[in-house]
Amino acid sequence: MNNKPFLKPFFLSISVLLVVLLAWGLRWNALTTLNIDYDEDDYMRAAQEYTTIFRTGNWTAFLETNYRPEHPPLAKVVFGLSLLSLPEKPLIGDHPTTSEPNRYLPRDLLRNARITSAVFGTITAGLVALVNPIGGVFLAVHAFTVKYVSQIMLEALPALTSLLAVLFYIRWKQHKPKKETRLGWLIPSAIFLGLTASSKYLYCVAGIAIVIDWLITAVENQETKKSISKILVWGSLAFLVFIITDPYLWADPINRLNETIFYHAAYSSGASEVESAGFPLWQPFIWLMTTPKAWQPNSILIAIDPLITLLALFGFSRQLKKQPVYAIWILVALIFLLIWPTKWPQYIVILTAPLCLTASEGLKGLFIEPVVRLYDRIKNKNRSIKIIEPNNFKKALPWLIPGLTAFLVFTLLPLLFQAGVSLTDFNSVSMKDGLNGGIFREVWGGLAGRIPPDNTEFPFRAKDVNYIGTSSYLPVFDYIKSSGILFFDIFWTFLSVFLQSILGIGVALLLWQRGVQFKRGWEALFILPWAIPEMIGALMWINIFAPATGWLSLGVEQYGSSFPFAGLNGWEQTANLRLVVLLISGVWYGFPFMMLAASAGLRMLPTEVYDAAALDGANSLNTFRYVTWPMLMPLFIPAIIIRGIFAFNQFYLFQAFRTGETTLATLSYNFFNVSGYFINGQFSISAVLNIITIVILIGFVILLNRWSKAGEGVTYA
Amino acid sequence: MRKNIWFKQIITQLILVIIGLYVVLPIWGIARLAFDGSLLSRATEFRLLPKVFAIDSFFKVLDKPYQSVDFLILIRNSMIVSIGAAAIALILGASLAYAFARFRFPGQKPALFILLLSALLPPVAFMTPLYILLSILQIRTTLLGLTIVYATFALPFCIWNMRVGFQSVSKELEEAAFLDGANNFLSFWYVSLPLAMPLIAVAGLIAFLMGYSEFAIGWLFVSKADTVTLAMSIYAMVQSGNAQPWSMLGSLLIIMSIPVIVIFLILQKTLLERMMFASPSD
Repeated sequence: MNNKPFLKPFFLSISVLLVVLLAWGLRWNALTTLNIDYDEDDYMRAAQEYTTIFRTGNWTAFLETNYRPEHPPLAKVVFGLSLLSLPEKPLIGDHPTTSEPNRYLPRDLLRNARITSAVFGTITAGLVALVNPIGGVFLAVHAFTVKYVSQIMLEALPALTSLLAVLFYIRWKQHKPKKETRLGWLIPSAIFLGLTASSKYLYCVAGIAIVIDWLITAVENQETKKSISKILVWGSLAFLVFIITDPYLWADPINRLNETIFYHAAYSSGASEVESAGFPLWQPFIWLMTTPKAWQPNSILIAIDPLITLLALFGFSRQLKKQPVYAIWILVALIFLLIWPTKWPQYIVILTAPLCLTASEGLKGLFIEPVVRLYDRIKNKNRSIKIIEPNNFKKALPWLIPGLTAFLVFTLLPLLFQAGVSLTDFNSVSMKDGLNGGIFREVWGGLAGRIPPDNTEFPFRAKDVNYIGTSSYLPVFDYIKSSGILFFDIFWTFLSVFLQSILGIGVALLLWQRGVQFKRGWEALFILPWAIPEMIGALMWINIFAPATGWLSLGVEQYGSSFPFAGLNGWEQTANLRLVVLLISGVWYGFPFMMLAASAGLRMLPTEVYDAAALDGANSLNTFRYVTWPMLMPLFIPAIIIRGIFAFNQFYLFQAFRTGETTLATLSYNFFNVSGYFINGQFSISAVLNIITIVILIGFVILLNRWSKAGEGVTYA
Repeated sequence: MRKNIWFKQIITQLILVIIGLYVVLPIWGIARLAFDGSLLSRATEFRLLPKVFAIDSFFKVLDKPYQSVDFLILIRNSMIVSIGAAAIALILGASLAYAFARFRFPGQKPALFILLLSALLPPVAFMTPLYILLSILQIRTTLLGLTIVYATFALPFCIWNMRVGFQSVSKELEEAAFLDGANNFLSFWYVSLPLAMPLIAVAGLIAFLMGYSEFAIGWLFVSKADTVTLAMSIYAMVQSGNAQPWSMLGSLLIIMSIPVIVIFLILQKTLLERMMFASPSD
């Protein structure tokens, strides 16, 4: 393509056009079919008030008009403008936020306001496509985004303006004006940030991301002072734009700003709808891993949000190298969503633009580039010299036959058999038929096409085994997705391995210092949890945390809330504390392995490097950052992967604690268990879950292979 | 400067003490139960130390820990099952591991991938099919059945680790044996096997520990009291709730853990390498 430079803009404009069409089609479908949601009636009322102002020309009314003043007025004013062309309708009633949405909004007003939203949403997708067409496609189809930018919500406009603020900032970064004093592209960036603030405050996380990226670049280029003054100018300009476009503030700026902030604080901690929703801390992650498809299937035509999130996860490190500000934007937004006590699904729209861009990086890294490489390899195959490896198959045969037979009988046969069971409705009631050859009959018959797939309802309770084809796969996958179990399993894997690594590396570094007393003794003590079988360790923690009978609750009963860790008592009632307690136990069991792996790695580091660093006058923090960490990391990655797989499969801990949150392994066991407390004896469902686990682990192992090649000095696969 | 070093030492030790408390806390909790002679069922009050210090629960556990089943029967079952599983996994896996380590043959790379994948699967992934297959063979509730189950869990892991063990034996030694007229099998038997023995033993040990400490899947397969293993009896004690003093549970946990802890303390470095699937030369 390099020799035909005119082709590139051509393809880009074609793909942007296609993305815009796709985005508009999906949004149009959504805006014409979606039911009226919470808040839509409120914002409609707000819009009507502004329409009246425009009609009457009573401009001073702007100073006092802002229905639902917790959000600044700009987006509502724009909705108001969109209603100007329509005949006036009576003002929508004033309802508290908790009441059911008003289903009888005037259709024409509803449509105009929704179209306004959708236009902004479509432009946003087109802009993302301009940066990266695949990212644009992702944003065009991102189901949560489609939903909330096609309704009368305050999301569409600030999502667009915050993206513009970031895009202009990047533009400035890449084409800095020759004269140092000129602001250039920073001016539009600041203007759009200000407009963002006067639409919805939450979207200003993009601004925070810009500042962080700016500061990092400044420190790297050693021009901190110059940059800070520029950031201040940029920030003041944004603030000025915010004040100008928020006339409601003019009359009484300090009090009204205060009012907004206190409203949010009180709303998130006291409002009944927030409390009754009862979302755990990590609910934003669950939103990112689900789709709103089940709420209204006809409005959401494409629902691949979880895939986009996963791709973004894989693309994150690439994005960090390529265009760090998007990655920072995602991080800042996630941190914000985690601490922000209110967890409505529409909030994730603050990060879907960078998320989709990062997902396209993930797609490139995971699929496109490997395929291109493979294609190149095949194309160049004839030219390259083939290394002929000695192929002593005949010699290997006598060794292969007995071992392979054992492996086939003990490992592969059960797994194949399991795949067969997953195609049936085999359960504890049809046990007799199944054991007398029913499974073989049905699976062979079904695969040969002699037996048509049966339609049976879950839970399976038929007396005879029936072939049902792959029809349980999708419902089971949907179940683990929508119940949050799949998400929890992955979340648990990341969080527990992360904490184990931190503690393990920390302890290893402490013990690695010169002249630490009782080094051997400490190490022997810290190994203990690793040596204790997992289920015994889990029981030990149950002995502490068991509700009513454990150490903690007995202690709180006797000594009141001054007892250490009394705040954890009653942990079984909230999802956040359940996670904390599981983490305390899981990290206890897991960190010794990490400590040992880290100390083994530290021992392999050459001491000369440290002497050199000391000669250069590096302090201990810099030595760690630039010497220890980069050298330790490749040695440590295998431990992270192995523990990650272990955490993903973790079984005994969850089996012992019996909380609602579990891993796939524990879920599969509970579906299987004939005498369990769950819907029990569903052998085929358990088989389906195991096959899903195997597929996920295949992904893990592929990654493991790739990382092991990347890790220098350590090969283990 | 000296002051600085002291300060650093104190801070370090302080952090280590806090982490040490975290490590010791649950173990202490169980020990406090085990040595308390006053317990009738669960503990009903918070205590850091036993109310009445006693060690007779240890003797009771060593006699009949669970219902009327003898400790000796339980430990015998445990040993049959876990040693049997480790032995099956090692013997059946050895030839495949050797083939992988020494020869190049078509399909080797995909086969290695499948092997690694199966070594990383959770035991639960094998549970469903084994339950049905062993039921069909009508050996599900026997000790043999349980042995086969645990052998299946351990086999892929053992093959992977023994392959590493054979790879660590230098090829030149075998070639020397060839020159002296030994055939493939003889050089395997007299050269590779003895030299790889330490790593094979460790793989076997890990396989043994899997069976030794497994209980949940065991309970799915076994139903009669005379085929229960030691680990399974612990689970039964937890399930039975308040039927017996929890000092017995505590002492059984301690008795079961001590041999494992000793093994881990002695072999920590090798065990760590094996569990990380690390290979010395590959």
